[in-house]
Amino acid sequence: MPTRQRLKELMISELMLDMTADEIGDDTPLFGPAGIGLDSVDALQLVVMIEKHFGFKMADQDQAKRLLHSVNTIAEAVDQKAAA
Amino acid sequence: MSRSILITGANGTLGLAIAEFFLTREENCRVFLGVRERRERAQELAARFSGRADLITLEITSADAWKTALAEIENKASPLGVLINNAGFHEDALLANMQQDQWSRVLDANLNAVFHGCQAALPGMMRERQGRIVNIASLSAISSPAGQTNYAAAKAGVIGLTQSLAKESARMSITVNAVCPGYIEGGLPADWTPEHLKALKMQLPMRRFARPEEIAAAVFFLASPDASYITGSTLKIDGGLL
Repeated sequence: MPTRQRLKELMISELMLDMTADEIGDDTPLFGPAGIGLDSVDALQLVVMIEKHFGFKMADQDQAKRLLHSVNTIAEAVDQKAAA
Repeated sequence: MSRSILITGANGTLGLAIAEFFLTREENCRVFLGVRERRERAQELAARFSGRADLITLEITSADAWKTALAEIENKASPLGVLINNAGFHEDALLANMQQDQWSRVLDANLNAVFHGCQAALPGMMRERQGRIVNIASLSAISSPAGQTNYAAAKAGVIGLTQSLAKESARMSITVNAVCPGYIEGGLPADWTPEHLKALKMQLPMRRFARPEEIAAAVFFLASPDASYITGSTLKIDGGLL
């Protein structure tokens, strides 16, 4: 399964989001009112989820803040690491 | 898979009762008895439930000690599924006479240790997306008796921590609750005279102290699958005193 699709499905199940994968755009901001509206607790869960399912460990909070912007930013980082 | 359960202060009356309750009611659990010193009673319980109960050395005020203990538990059994923050003590004095170290020792053991324990336990519980934390607070958190500014503040802090952490971890199916026991048989200061105990009982609606297993039963329930929608709660178990 492509990384983006897998990420969306994992987010829906692990963050208990009441939406479908199609409703999450690749570039939609994950946080804030203009986006999906995730909060800081979701961010913590996302970090754990990405490490658990993709083996990608965030180096620090700055990196997490940057990469957790959208599905695209996460997927690019995860795929880059897998290819390295 | 069997659950790993860690109970701090497992050499005391309530800690031992909680441990025994789990061991007798949950066939597959593995109980770790967190102790620092005075290990005899915990050793006796571990011997009675050989293979299912282990002593684990734990200085609850040290973050490093918590990390070491949790790694040992995961290595011996499974990631920690249930954390019972039970250890604590009080050192009473009127605030006007209280020494700074009396304040600090009580805050360290009763509140900061709960922070360390929860912080150490959470990563594993988050990975597993399940967990139960039960913090033993005290009726003093609610009734705030004179002479216990340090203990009452610490235990009230435990209730605040419990409620806040419950919100942070709810979506991960990790529940965090607190219980506030009243007077417990066998857990009262040794220097209280029989006359004082008798007078105290007369003030209690049930005219008796709690049996340790009556507190343990509530802790066991809060740690059970049946309590899956209870989080951030504080359960007062005082025979109707407050």
